[in-house]
Amino acid sequence: MTTVLAYLDPGSGSMILQIIAGGLAAVAVTAKLYWNRLLRFLRIRKDEPETTVETSSARSTDSA
Amino acid sequence: MRPPTDTSAGTGLEPGSFRDPESRVFYSGGEVFRALSADGLTDFQAVSDAGLLDDPRIVRTEVAGDTQALRGLLVHEPAGVLRHERIPFVSYPYEWTFSMLKDAALVQLDLLLAALDKDLVLKDSTPYNVQFRGARPVFVDIGSFERRREGEPWIGYRQFCMLYLYPLLLQAVKGVPFHPWLRGCIDGIKPAEMRALLSFRDRFRRGLFTNVFLHARLEKRYADRPQEVKDEVKRVGLKKEILVANVRKMRKLVERLEWSPPEGVWTAYGERNTYTDSDAQRKDEFVRQVATSRHWDLVWDIGANNGRYSRIAAEGASTVVAVDADQGPVDLLYRDLRDEGDEKILTLTMNLADPSPGLGWRGLERRAMPDRGKPDLVLALALIHHVAISANVPVKEFVDWLASLGCSLVIEFPTREDPMVKKLLAPKRDGLHPDYELGFFERCLGEGFEVERSERLESGTRVLYHARPKG
Repeated sequence: MTTVLAYLDPGSGSMILQIIAGGLAAVAVTAKLYWNRLLRFLRIRKDEPETTVETSSARSTDSA
Repeated sequence: MRPPTDTSAGTGLEPGSFRDPESRVFYSGGEVFRALSADGLTDFQAVSDAGLLDDPRIVRTEVAGDTQALRGLLVHEPAGVLRHERIPFVSYPYEWTFSMLKDAALVQLDLLLAALDKDLVLKDSTPYNVQFRGARPVFVDIGSFERRREGEPWIGYRQFCMLYLYPLLLQAVKGVPFHPWLRGCIDGIKPAEMRALLSFRDRFRRGLFTNVFLHARLEKRYADRPQEVKDEVKRVGLKKEILVANVRKMRKLVERLEWSPPEGVWTAYGERNTYTDSDAQRKDEFVRQVATSRHWDLVWDIGANNGRYSRIAAEGASTVVAVDADQGPVDLLYRDLRDEGDEKILTLTMNLADPSPGLGWRGLERRAMPDRGKPDLVLALALIHHVAISANVPVKEFVDWLASLGCSLVIEFPTREDPMVKKLLAPKRDGLHPDYELGFFERCLGEGFEVERSERLESGTRVLYHARPKG
């Protein structure tokens, strides 16, 4: 990425926090993905749950 | 594409618009312009190409043309000039009610999300970039939009916390009005300060642990290592999807924050119980006659309470500023006006005995109320007894101040026999406030104004006056 060049001081701690929060969000999404896979594998849930992920990727392809 | 008419743009510089080196606001011939640097202009073109200029939440803006006359306005030479729609009366977050600051925060976040969708971003997050047209928030800083740099985090996150999230939390969670805090510091509440105001139990409330407790802790920990952090952020980068997720999460948090005025305010909001019905009707009629006698550009309704007379004044005015020291009824009025889609009545909360001063760099960045546009009509109904008795402002001082505004006036004087006046005088030593007396008040009024008409209400303890400025 390019260097941060904002006129506003973004705050060192504030930037680190976003990376942590971002990391947590990524972990949460991954965990949910695997959880849904596990449920499907155990046949507790049918195929629908993962459609949220599929729809969002489909939408991005549409708009491209 | 009309260019600015006045070429000496330097004289009309907006003193509150110097922080961002890429853009600068100035006034010329009664209109509002913005000079942009080359970088600022490229950003503006990206905003224009993205179709964001048609968004009704953003101030109406067009390219104004010629830039030759504007040398010296910016650090870099101006590359372009924009013309903005003028907001009738400028207001500041420390004068807004809770719901107003919350609505401004939501506009800020929604525009950031709309920008991210077009690979743009808002470079800051200050409520001073939002103004109200009546009860409708309008984002006024086109210069805030810029092209997004890959991997960059949300630069305005800290500022959003300090000027939006923490003030809202303070009032929603602790019941403490945020106004003195925002008026006291132009940059808002720091993470460490906010943390100190919260209890141990508060860390379990949604969003508070991350945005306040962890935020304050990380700020302290990394305060002396800015270069290290910059390199780390550069190395890791923040994906756009994650940035969008963070902003959406903040939006959810803000949307859930609620503040409600005390129960008594709700009850009193519908009915003002100190008047008999016939008094109320005659007072309505008196105000309506003055309000509709001609067209008024700007009316101030000071001591507006539930906005009953602001609404009447709006029948004959372009803009009404409804001010009251009590935030409760003003917030309820704002909510109603917002639901009605009103664009005429601007609600503000401010103690008139301690009004907003000039603030910021040289005391000019944020202006005192009369410096933002003088009214041509002032309504001061059921107010003078509060100012004179509760706040101890001499009657003559108050009337002289009104006269200094050079406007027409509708004023109500409740006599010493009035139940409310008796209530205010009750805790005071006998014989205090000898100047609070009908004859003396009328003499003061006559010195500053030409009294057109007066009427004593049926109950006999309240007198209404319509007065014009002298000379």
